[in-house]
Amino acid sequence: MSSGEHIRVEELELFALGALPEGEAAALQAHISGCEECASNLAQARGNAALLAFAVQQDAPAGTIKAELMARIRANREAEARSAWPARPAEADRGGADRKTDSKGGWWNWVLVPAALALALVSLALSWQNRRIAAELQRERQAAEAMIRDRQQIEKLVGVLASPDTETVKLAGTSDAASASGLVKFNAKAGIVLYSADLPALPKDKSYQMWLVPANGAPISAGLLGPGGHAWGNMWTAEVPVNTSAKAFAVTIEPVGGAPQPTGPKVLLGAA
Amino acid sequence: MTPQGTTGETTTDWSLLARIGKKDEEALSALYDRYSGLVFSEAKRILRDTGAAEEILQDLFYQVWRTAERFDPARGSLAGWLLVAARNRAISKLRRKSGQTEELDEKGVSLKIDVESRAAQNLLLDKVRTVMGNLPENQREALECAYFEGMSHTEIAEKTGQPLGTVKTRIRSAMEALKKVLS
Repeated sequence: MSSGEHIRVEELELFALGALPEGEAAALQAHISGCEECASNLAQARGNAALLAFAVQQDAPAGTIKAELMARIRANREAEARSAWPARPAEADRGGADRKTDSKGGWWNWVLVPAALALALVSLALSWQNRRIAAELQRERQAAEAMIRDRQQIEKLVGVLASPDTETVKLAGTSDAASASGLVKFNAKAGIVLYSADLPALPKDKSYQMWLVPANGAPISAGLLGPGGHAWGNMWTAEVPVNTSAKAFAVTIEPVGGAPQPTGPKVLLGAA
Repeated sequence: MTPQGTTGETTTDWSLLARIGKKDEEALSALYDRYSGLVFSEAKRILRDTGAAEEILQDLFYQVWRTAERFDPARGSLAGWLLVAARNRAISKLRRKSGQTEELDEKGVSLKIDVESRAAQNLLLDKVRTVMGNLPENQREALECAYFEGMSHTEIAEKTGQPLGTVKTRIRSAMEALKKVLS
């Protein structure tokens, strides 16, 4: 991932495109927050990725959107001005004649301006209510789609557990965690890893991370055993590239959020 | 692009933003006219939903209005920030993640090309479309899955049935081609 202490431009571009898995993205973000050079390179990578916005068919938004925006801004400004009315020193300092004129104008102000403001706010509220209802309908539809996706995911995982293609790998504790143990169910064809482990508690700034060690190439993250990981019942699950030939599975201790490649001590290991 | 003033006949983004910071509605209106089409089209491409894209568009410019004074020109391009923020919000909505509202100066975006005039935008639209049109289908698919669908390279590998390394190579090759529009 890194060249010397800095992150390679290619990795930054994947990050800017949103193409890094969560664990890798979190590790990269942690580095960038403390590295000016990488932050600057990331800004450039984001700009390069943003060029893709120029690849899409251009459409104009409805004219009412701008009108609503400007009305929203004005309502906000008027509300702020209204809250400031009682404390206008220039008005308080004026003389008697002015005060008489002002008191008449002020009377109208106190009646008409709030009424106009109220009308503007009601109009704005109605407009936003319409948009909210449309947004709620959209959310309901998305929730229903999510339930279907969840059910499909459960069926997929149950299918993996029952499949004759699924291999079971027992993990044993290393010298760093001799009493630890774990179990992995791996289906290369589906690219699914399911696992559970009995491991000692970690400090808050550390996470356990599962790795698939392929027959060729660098270890592939198979998710976190804890916050940031994907739990299914009492097991953890992760997706890995399909048809990866696994040589072994291992669990290491990594910074919270995980790492793109193993950096910490290995606590569990099992040959596939 | 210059930090202040005008480029030719076009008022710069920074000049408009400085006026927006002083609550100049005309400046916000001008900035909206300049970028609303790009922002809306990008969000609509991701969400395939006109209403949701318009909501993102309006919320984004409302945020510019509220927080204009916090944006630091040294952190990059306002156009770039608008496009990245719109993309992130649309992807969060698409993937039902609890999207965080980006503060105006939170994420630097460096867009090293002038897009402040309509002519410059049209030129870049032509260039990028040409590059995308000339990309091999598999490279374009990988790039679009990442940027417009919010898919990780692992998810793209699963979707396409290709090894992870192949997907990464395709994305990198496509990005190399895309960056040539900047030269």
